[in-house]
Amino acid sequence: MKIDWWTLGLQTVNVLVLVWILSRFLFRPVTAIIAERQASAARLLDDARAARDAALVEKAKIDEEAARQAAARTVALTSAAAEAATEKTALLAAARIEAEQKRVAAETEFFLARQSETAATADRASLLAVDIASKLLDRLPPEARVVGFIEGMASQLGALPPSTRHDLATSGEEARLKAPRALTDEELKACGAAFSRAIGRPVIFAVEIDPGLIAGLEFETRHALVRNSFRFDLDRIATELTRHDHARQ
Amino acid sequence: MIASPLTLDPVFSIGPAPITEPVLVTWAIMIGLGGFAFLVTRRLKLVPSKAQTVLETVVGAVDDQIRDTMQTEPARYRALIGTIFLYVLIANWSSLAPGVEPPTAHLETDAALALIVLGATIVFGIGTRGLGGYLKTFAEPTWVMIPLNVVEQITRTFSLIVRLFGNVMSGVFVVGIVLTLAGLLTPIPLMALDLLTGAVQAYIFAVLATVFIGAAVGESHEIALEPSEQKRKQP
Repeated sequence: MKIDWWTLGLQTVNVLVLVWILSRFLFRPVTAIIAERQASAARLLDDARAARDAALVEKAKIDEEAARQAAARTVALTSAAAEAATEKTALLAAARIEAEQKRVAAETEFFLARQSETAATADRASLLAVDIASKLLDRLPPEARVVGFIEGMASQLGALPPSTRHDLATSGEEARLKAPRALTDEELKACGAAFSRAIGRPVIFAVEIDPGLIAGLEFETRHALVRNSFRFDLDRIATELTRHDHARQ
Repeated sequence: MIASPLTLDPVFSIGPAPITEPVLVTWAIMIGLGGFAFLVTRRLKLVPSKAQTVLETVVGAVDDQIRDTMQTEPARYRALIGTIFLYVLIANWSSLAPGVEPPTAHLETDAALALIVLGATIVFGIGTRGLGGYLKTFAEPTWVMIPLNVVEQITRTFSLIVRLFGNVMSGVFVVGIVLTLAGLLTPIPLMALDLLTGAVQAYIFAVLATVFIGAAVGESHEIALEPSEQKRKQP
């Protein structure tokens, strides 16, 4: 066995040189790139972490904004509901008032129409009565339209208050005597005699023809009005009937 | 290989220095490894290519081995341990090339590697502990152990030499004998076995070098662990 010291030395140097070569061209660059990759990965992780944190912050803001909007929406809905309720109440009240007004107006209109209808009916009835009475009286002698009412008129004059009768007697005023037709002389004399007897003094009057009386007499002065005629009776009957109808309604 | 593995004939001489085959093969390995490293590491990228991935895997494996064995940051020892592993591996596998005899099948190459490991043990030990601290390690656990520890330093260096030399030389020798006695393709299974043996021997040599250096550096290397490394080591 023989050791070749030259080979031993050269191999030692060779291996040491190889250590330097590989250290320079292999291990150092490779470890550097591995470290760089790790640093890059760490940076990426940091960036990702920062992005995640930013996203979480943004999400929290969005959640807060959504909650705020939800609260505002609730408030707006509540306000709108309250406003709608108020509006509804006001509309209902206004509708009720309007309906009540319309109902009252309708009732009033109905009442007025009915009154008008009643009045028209009464008028027609009066006209009919007057017409009937006229036609019936046409079958009687002409004297019947006046003579039969002279004493009644005298009785009513006699029933006037004494002061009224006194005024009639002393005022010197000419009274008006309405009659359905022109009075004959006998009828004028009978009227003067009867009226004077009732009042107690002579009465001056002028005769005024009013066919609307149908039959009877009406005595008018400035202080008194005495009616004893069919027209007056028919008017009174119609008035009574109308009042009776109203009371019945 | 039918000549004596214990003798070397010079191929040529440079002045007084005879250049033998192991030296020539080692130069070829140096050129090949260095050229490959230079070419690949010229274009290192964050997104690695296939060749870069292979290199990063090798470097990462070396780092992990150093870290696991020495419990320290591997940067200081990476170049030496990694180079020893790669050189021994490629030297062992160089027998696959026709007519090439592995440099590790000769005592001079193995002795050179073992001497480098011995020198590294001493340099790193003194560099870490100081001269006095390093010498004190020979008196552990008691001063009585000094002779034994000194002998251990020598014998374990010899064990490195003999183990690698014996395994590689015997493999090459057996393949040569079988090739002489049998047909052309007969030694292929043995050559495949040599590949496995060569890889295992490279790993064993590198690990033993790591262990020896780690023993010289001692427990004080614990303080050299980076925080990230300490965190990584926690279960």
